[in-house]
Amino acid sequence: MATGSLRRRRAASGMPVVRRTAMESVVHALGWLVLVVALVLVLAPLAFMFIASFMPARDIMRMPFSWWPDSLFLDNFWQAIKGNDGKFIFPRAILNSVVVASSVALTTVLFSALAGYGLTKLKFRGSNIVFLLILSTLMVPFETVMIPLYVVVTGMGLQNSYAGLIIPFLLSAFGVFLMRQSLVTFPDELLDASRIDGASELGIFFRIVLPNMLPVMAVLGVLTFEQQWGNLIWPLLVVQTAELRTMPLYVVTFMEEKSTNEGAMVAVAALSSIPMLVIFFSLSQFFLKGANVFSAGKE
Amino acid sequence: MARKAVKLTVATRRAMWGWVFVLPALIYFAVFSFYPIFNALWLSLHTKNPLSLRPPRFVGLRNYIDLLHSTSFWNSWKATGLFTLGTAIPLVVLSLLLATIIVSRLNFRRFFQLAFYAPAVIPSVVAAAVWLLLLDPRGIANQWVNFVLGLSGVDHKWLANPEMVRFSTTIVYLWEKLGFFTIIFIAGLGGIPQSVREAAHVDGAGGWQLYRYVTLPLLKPTTLLVSVMAMIFCMRTFATQYLFTQAGAPRESINVVTLGIYTTGIRDLQLGLANAMSIVLLVVMLVLSVLQFRLSGREG
Repeated sequence: MATGSLRRRRAASGMPVVRRTAMESVVHALGWLVLVVALVLVLAPLAFMFIASFMPARDIMRMPFSWWPDSLFLDNFWQAIKGNDGKFIFPRAILNSVVVASSVALTTVLFSALAGYGLTKLKFRGSNIVFLLILSTLMVPFETVMIPLYVVVTGMGLQNSYAGLIIPFLLSAFGVFLMRQSLVTFPDELLDASRIDGASELGIFFRIVLPNMLPVMAVLGVLTFEQQWGNLIWPLLVVQTAELRTMPLYVVTFMEEKSTNEGAMVAVAALSSIPMLVIFFSLSQFFLKGANVFSAGKE
Repeated sequence: MARKAVKLTVATRRAMWGWVFVLPALIYFAVFSFYPIFNALWLSLHTKNPLSLRPPRFVGLRNYIDLLHSTSFWNSWKATGLFTLGTAIPLVVLSLLLATIIVSRLNFRRFFQLAFYAPAVIPSVVAAAVWLLLLDPRGIANQWVNFVLGLSGVDHKWLANPEMVRFSTTIVYLWEKLGFFTIIFIAGLGGIPQSVREAAHVDGAGGWQLYRYVTLPLLKPTTLLVSVMAMIFCMRTFATQYLFTQAGAPRESINVVTLGIYTTGIRDLQLGLANAMSIVLLVVMLVLSVLQFRLSGREG
């Protein structure tokens, strides 16, 4: 099955192209079939979400579902934005999510870069132990520390506040790990040359190291933003008032309200997905790299 | 001060700066990772109601003993275990299959990668909300399954039947995470040196033989990594199950461990018990992670 790229290389290097056997052709065609079926199954829910958001509730639930709506019904979006109580909590929730997710992304990138740089290029006695300690927290999933973390955050009086939403995620072990990995290959000569020129360590970090690390910082930033944008469990613990709800929390409460109809629900889903999909398709190389980091990093 | 600083050797000054750079991270991890873990351990040996002012009372291992005798604890591990195995295995197999096919195509590679990855960027709770409509008795799931099976008007009770709900959460999770693991496999396949495959090809290995005896063994580190990662991901699942139960799906069969910790700690306000549950989850996860390191170590 994996002979396609081989064939191309052969063609490129002037070797005779081997013709496919009948068996190989069948396998190749079956491959296309699997891909197309998988594509339809994966994209159908997304397509449903966007198409249904333009339909009145009774059409969404009509059998069979019509993938081509008769007319564009925009009322769902208005209903979604103003909410069942007409208090426009949804735009506020989106804004809250933007604030929380971008703050977390920014601090994670900055502090991870600082720590990663300190651990690789400014080695001190015990720096390896410190790195191992940080790395060990990678094995501790958030769900196992959320209750004690909740005790810590309420102890600090930060429940039901932006600070309470942001502070537990200021930094990530994954971020430190990622930064350290990519800084190992950073040329020491460049740093030493700047030191001879009289640059301070902080100056070197901000003027030489950071500008050269932008791609990996973008990967980390994008992944962190995505994670926080979808974070449900922590806001569920610390948020008490409607004004502070983040988008995922709003989706839950909106779904639970009796007067919510399917049209408004699916419009909320579509509106909540659009920002992330736009970021995804415009910055797709960072997402793909981000997924690859996992496979490359551990080997 | 300034004169003293000049006297310090270059190495010591650099080491001092090293501490300065690492200090914020150290403080952060001390307060928000290590302290909570030890606090969880400590609290799991106590009873504490967060609403009362009374200090936690030491009860020894009673929380753990209570857990061992609690049917809901075992039930939630059953739910998590079934979900993890039932989801991680198809996830690994299907993403390997898709990655293999995508890598063997000359065109549309990037298109397929992006298309399969797209659901992963939809927040899981939003995805679950959309799937609630798809799995509705009048929804598209019933329509399509009936069409394929040649049935008409059968309701498969995706959200009503306790066993079907397990299956439904698995489908939602597969849909969300398939693209992510496919991309990791694509990277792993790309890491296999062309020369090895060409050598095997010259030796007369055909398509399937090449794949079975050359590609798959060389891909083993990636496969192991993906398997353990998929299991860890699955054990952490929360949003889908939470939204489904809030929407009225039968709770017991999808009351996974994370959901159990949340309900015990936050709704029932039994912090000691919730912490004991967290510690058990942590231990299981640690065993999995260590296993992952051992396995990848043996390979390397």
